[in-house]
Amino acid sequence: MATRNKDIQTDTDQVIKTEKAKSPSSQPLSVPTDNPVVYPLDLPQGEARLRTPAVGQRASRPDGRLHGLGQTQYIDDITFPHMLHAKILHSDHAHARIVSIDTSEAEKMPGVLATLTGAEVPENSFGPTFQDQPILAYPIVRHRGDGVAAVAAVTEQLAMEALEKIKVEYEPLTPVFDPLEAIEDDSPKIHGESNIYTSKIIKKGDVEKALKDSPHVFHRQYTTQMVEHVPLEPQATIASWDGNGRVTIWSSLGRITLGREDISRTLAIPQSRIRLIGTIVGGNFGGKNEIRNEPIVALLSKKSRRPVKCVFTRDEEFTSSTIRHPFIMDYTTGVNDEGLILARKIRLVLDGGAYCSWTGTTIGKGSILAPGPYNIENVFVEAYAVYTNKTTTGAMRGFGAPQVCFAYESQMDEIANKLGIDPLEIRLKNGFSENSLSPTSQTLQSVALKESLNQASDRFGWKEWKA
Amino acid sequence: MWYPIGFTVLANPSAATVKVNTDGTATLLTGTVETGQGALTVLGQIAAETLGLSTDDVHVVSGDTDVTPMDTGAIASRTTYVTGNAIVKAAEKAREILFEAAAPLLNVKPNQLEARDKRIQVLGFPSSSIPISDVVQHSESVVGNPAIGSASYNPPTLAMDPETGQGKPFNTYVYATQIADVEVDDETGEVEILKIVAVHDCGTPINPMLVEGQIQGGISMGVGFALQEEILFEEGRQINPNLTNYIMPTSLDMPELEVGLVDNYDPTGPFGAKGAGEPTAVPTAAAIMNAIYDAVGVRITSLPATAERVMMAILEKQDSEKTAATG
Amino acid sequence: MLVKIKVNGELRSADVPPETTLLKMLRESLDLTGTKLGCDVGDCGTCTVIVDGVSVNSCLMLAGRANGSEITTIEGLADSNTLHPLQEKFEEHGALQCGFCGPGMLMSAKDLLDKNPDPSIHEVRDALSGNLCRCTGYTKIIEAVIDAGRVMRKEISA
Repeated sequence: MATRNKDIQTDTDQVIKTEKAKSPSSQPLSVPTDNPVVYPLDLPQGEARLRTPAVGQRASRPDGRLHGLGQTQYIDDITFPHMLHAKILHSDHAHARIVSIDTSEAEKMPGVLATLTGAEVPENSFGPTFQDQPILAYPIVRHRGDGVAAVAAVTEQLAMEALEKIKVEYEPLTPVFDPLEAIEDDSPKIHGESNIYTSKIIKKGDVEKALKDSPHVFHRQYTTQMVEHVPLEPQATIASWDGNGRVTIWSSLGRITLGREDISRTLAIPQSRIRLIGTIVGGNFGGKNEIRNEPIVALLSKKSRRPVKCVFTRDEEFTSSTIRHPFIMDYTTGVNDEGLILARKIRLVLDGGAYCSWTGTTIGKGSILAPGPYNIENVFVEAYAVYTNKTTTGAMRGFGAPQVCFAYESQMDEIANKLGIDPLEIRLKNGFSENSLSPTSQTLQSVALKESLNQASDRFGWKEWKA
Repeated sequence: MWYPIGFTVLANPSAATVKVNTDGTATLLTGTVETGQGALTVLGQIAAETLGLSTDDVHVVSGDTDVTPMDTGAIASRTTYVTGNAIVKAAEKAREILFEAAAPLLNVKPNQLEARDKRIQVLGFPSSSIPISDVVQHSESVVGNPAIGSASYNPPTLAMDPETGQGKPFNTYVYATQIADVEVDDETGEVEILKIVAVHDCGTPINPMLVEGQIQGGISMGVGFALQEEILFEEGRQINPNLTNYIMPTSLDMPELEVGLVDNYDPTGPFGAKGAGEPTAVPTAAAIMNAIYDAVGVRITSLPATAERVMMAILEKQDSEKTAATG
Repeated sequence: MLVKIKVNGELRSADVPPETTLLKMLRESLDLTGTKLGCDVGDCGTCTVIVDGVSVNSCLMLAGRANGSEITTIEGLADSNTLHPLQEKFEEHGALQCGFCGPGMLMSAKDLLDKNPDPSIHEVRDALSGNLCRCTGYTKIIEAVIDAGRVMRKEISA
């Protein structure tokens, strides 16, 4: 028996030796001895995290440690087996009708597993205020960042090559880019009957009379520009379906509950069939607060039966995500000889871009904040948001506040200079206090305006510097 | 400047669930998303404070619609205030279960107890106390009541009149002042910011280090808005959709920053807190424009105040002064 | 083409198309996703790694060019028992918010402190000027780098 086993053993050894000799490349190139990924596991957390009471502690962030180790998983760091990459084809025109889209050449390419156009999206509209934006534009494109088709392929490179094979025939329509032109009745219409898609009025007291009675009236127009959030992490999404028809979507969205509602609506499937996971996001600032690629990626994944990932390039982050509304602001302010503001009349025109997005909130906040944190009895604000064939303007840190603050604070200094009053004094004179009334006649509580003015001035050394 | 917390009039609720573990640590479930501002850390601190635990004792789970409760989102600087208030209410419910379980053990009524320093103790007589871990174990395995609580919060508002806009669109606002010191080269129009002082009101700062970070970050966006950033269009096409030609602040563009917080307490907010995310980016551009006027006497009314624009304004001013002098 | 590099002390290799950047090779072929892709054209600095002792934007370097080089990425900054002083100080100061610029920022800072152990604030700003950050305004990052320098020079304890 032993002899027989020995023979078998020798034979086996011989076979292994022969096989090894035949295929040296099956041996590993290097035998890993060091680990390219090292990190300590048992280091204590910062002391402030361990103290009670918890409020007021300068506690370090647990995600801070992971960030420093490079361990935070953003969406682009996540991969799944058999995952495909999606790319989106954007419009060639700022305003056009799509006559035809032919994806057949792209579909024929080996390695391209799915294509998508707007006509295939069950409910092709979304928007946080009203649903005027398409997932993939069809039949009208309204700005150059509008997506018109998408592909999913085994590599990103292949997906980009496939986009070039998609043939889109456009019938150009007259575009309008200037909001002051777009506001006119005879301008080309981008949606519906009028390009003014939302407006707001705030009226308190009798501003015309008060302006007439003001010893000094100041008027100026202020304008601000289009800026982008530039989150360091570009928008990214992954979608994957299981055998129960349930889709899991990983997204850099800042609001997942409502995101799931939007996805449910656009894909026409129940919310319970959708799992939306918000990962740690690499910066949002407002640009990732509504769905964008999620339905596209979900539909491509459904068609191809594979997980699909789509990451915006930096270019797309500028052209196809939202940006801040440029404001054109006309301020007319009446003051008395002591610098007390008696009346303020404001007209705001918001360049609303191609779609509404968060304009409803921006125009609301912008209008309410526009008179500034000052006690003014007679206020009139009229604000209009106008469609133009440019990048969609949406939520961006401040929702209109940075724009109007630039206007009202610049004018405050102008008034101070003209009347020979110290800029700090004029603000203290007019500024809100506890129980002041806002422009919407709300009684304000927990007001700390004058405290912030005084403390900032003390720290800066305002009085010494002015002397 | 002033800035509101929460959505304009519209309901924007947040819900939260707090579970206390048998070793005295806890888990917080929140539907919000961490976008970098430190929300998860701050929300964990709020839960910890309510339960008498340390920040490190609370593990925060967020951003999964299968698991976490409803949240309107990390928008409008609402997270600390709205989600924070929801968390206080949820943690109070879990804490009430612990009080109910501990009261008979300490021979008092539940409303005579408080949670502090990881113990459930009698108000006014702290030496009579039980570690929270023991109370949780007792509550779960003896009384049969796991310590869990869920709650939601929505800021109360009043709709604005459609004709006059009068109403109560937000429940609370924050205030701030920023002062900038600049140097303008009157031969090139280049503006160099020497220093910015910022004093912000955020109610109680739940985590002062994170609020400072928000203010510093907001100011950098404000600096970009004021002096550098602009998307340029030609026939509807963006001509600078990249970071080579879209200029935004680098570490060399940021000046010395001095940041302070006003001592304030808003009784409607969690432990007096309000919020900080957006207000930080609001007044910077105005402060810089006013400083430019103070430096060279030109008023920039169109942002950004690039060197070209400032230079043009300086030349115009010089021209008009010459005309006035000679005319 | 076969590219062989030493990453964080370990010899690794991958067969990649010739146009592959070092960044793509690290992230996709070697599963080292700590280094980030922010713009892919060398503007933002999130892809910063150290190649043969010099900090580079790995999205601008072809993998082939890195053949035979020694590379340090964020994954190799700590050791199994301790964080690098930079990682410690960044955490202590709350220097990172969303964290996306973090790995690149830390590698640029390491490169600076390795060559200039006692930098002035301006030198720190200069060294980090190729790493964009949108969240923090850079203030706490700079404070953390200065503090880390002190630790590395043993002026203060970690």
